[in-house]
Amino acid sequence: MEKNRRDGSFYINPYLGGVLLGLVLFATYYITGRGLGASGAVKNTVVTTVDVIAPAHAEKSHYYSKFLNENSSPMNNWLVFEVLGVMAGAFLSGTLYGRLKLKNEHSPKIKPRTRLIAAVAGGLMFGIGSQLARGCTSGAALSGLAVLSASGMITMLGIFGSAYLFGWLFKKLWI
Amino acid sequence: MKEELFVSGRAIPNIDPYLNIWHWQIPLYLFLGGLAAGIMFFAALFTIMGKENEMSTAVKKAPIIAPIALVLGLLALLLDLKHKLYFWQLYTTIRYQSPMSWGAWVLMAITPLSMIWVASYMKELIPGWKWKNSLLDSFEAFIIKYRLWMAWIIIVLSVILGIYTGILLSAFNARPLWNTSILGPLFLVSGMSTGAATILLMSKSHEERRTMSWIDLLLIVVELFFITHLIMGMKAGSQVQIDAAALFLGGEFTAVFWVFVIVLGLVFPAVLEVLERIGYHIPVIIPVILILLGGLMFRFIMVEAGQITRYLY
Repeated sequence: MEKNRRDGSFYINPYLGGVLLGLVLFATYYITGRGLGASGAVKNTVVTTVDVIAPAHAEKSHYYSKFLNENSSPMNNWLVFEVLGVMAGAFLSGTLYGRLKLKNEHSPKIKPRTRLIAAVAGGLMFGIGSQLARGCTSGAALSGLAVLSASGMITMLGIFGSAYLFGWLFKKLWI
Repeated sequence: MKEELFVSGRAIPNIDPYLNIWHWQIPLYLFLGGLAAGIMFFAALFTIMGKENEMSTAVKKAPIIAPIALVLGLLALLLDLKHKLYFWQLYTTIRYQSPMSWGAWVLMAITPLSMIWVASYMKELIPGWKWKNSLLDSFEAFIIKYRLWMAWIIIVLSVILGIYTGILLSAFNARPLWNTSILGPLFLVSGMSTGAATILLMSKSHEERRTMSWIDLLLIVVELFFITHLIMGMKAGSQVQIDAAALFLGGEFTAVFWVFVIVLGLVFPAVLEVLERIGYHIPVIIPVILILLGGLMFRFIMVEAGQITRYLY
């Protein structure tokens, strides 16, 4: 496959990408003493936003109040900084493979708007689900499995098992 | 604050244990002042070098930002004053030992000069622009005739302005983090780097962008070098200075300083600019915004962190 590596049609081999991700996780455990996460950063951003706009509500709520602390902002958290790094890294990787374009990738069978609505709806549901499960693919499944935790195994089975089921139903949003 | 109600010299909000009387206005002003100094420096520099046409954005277009930044920055300084209506008293004296006096007078000179500079290029920037007064027309002709002289004055004033944004802090001998002579050059270089980045963003000429991104890269490297020396100097100092450096080396400002200033504000945009040079396609706005945000964060962190460092315990 002799393709121009910078025209955006080529990206890293997914198996190699997986190995690299594993090494990143390994290094993260070594350097920071804890695993990777993604939904936690979103959660902290939401908690901070609610706390700024409606502090009384945030304090009253059982969920938000858990993450609020008088001395330090929820934004002062490893996951928030990690996600900033993820964005910077994604930008760099997009640059190196010539994929730095603002575009909406969707199946030819659906409208771009449908794709956006479906993606936002899916993201919202995944966010709620990750809070019920106390972690997302990165925090619970990936980092959990790396230390062979049972909850990591269950999360992985839950996420990928339901993905197989619902993937079949919502396939046409993708291909 | 009701000073008459104090019963102890301890545990007073914003005074003890930490004197915290400078808020967002000061770092915002330091950023805008540095930005304006950087932009005016390059405008004057390329005029002196005779490159008005090759570097037309730096000389003609970008200076529009300078008076706006200066006016907003001065507004922030005014907001910081407790007795706002007494600001003019700064102009009843000239004290060469006082950085604030230097700053007040330099601003008094460079703000109108930057406006005149922009005005003298209005006809070139906006075709069909007319001054509705013959006096203004003859004044413009006078300025254009002596523009080179003006550039020499501006280049000196802009360097003083850029350094002064750092000296304003380093003159505080009671704050170990600030009380280092490298702060002046460091703030000057940082201000010039934000100025260069702004010109880079506004420029449409390929050649000019290349020159500005070279300059910006060089400035980033120098800035990193100065920051290294700032920390090394502190580490080699007395205990209060070591404590000041510790704020960035494991203390409460470690994460924000390293993430927002060093990585996202300096190293990452430098990497992007290098990648751009070797042929990768990168929207120029990304490194520029990162550099500007990094410069702003740097000043916020230095002002915040400096206020909690001290000699007396």
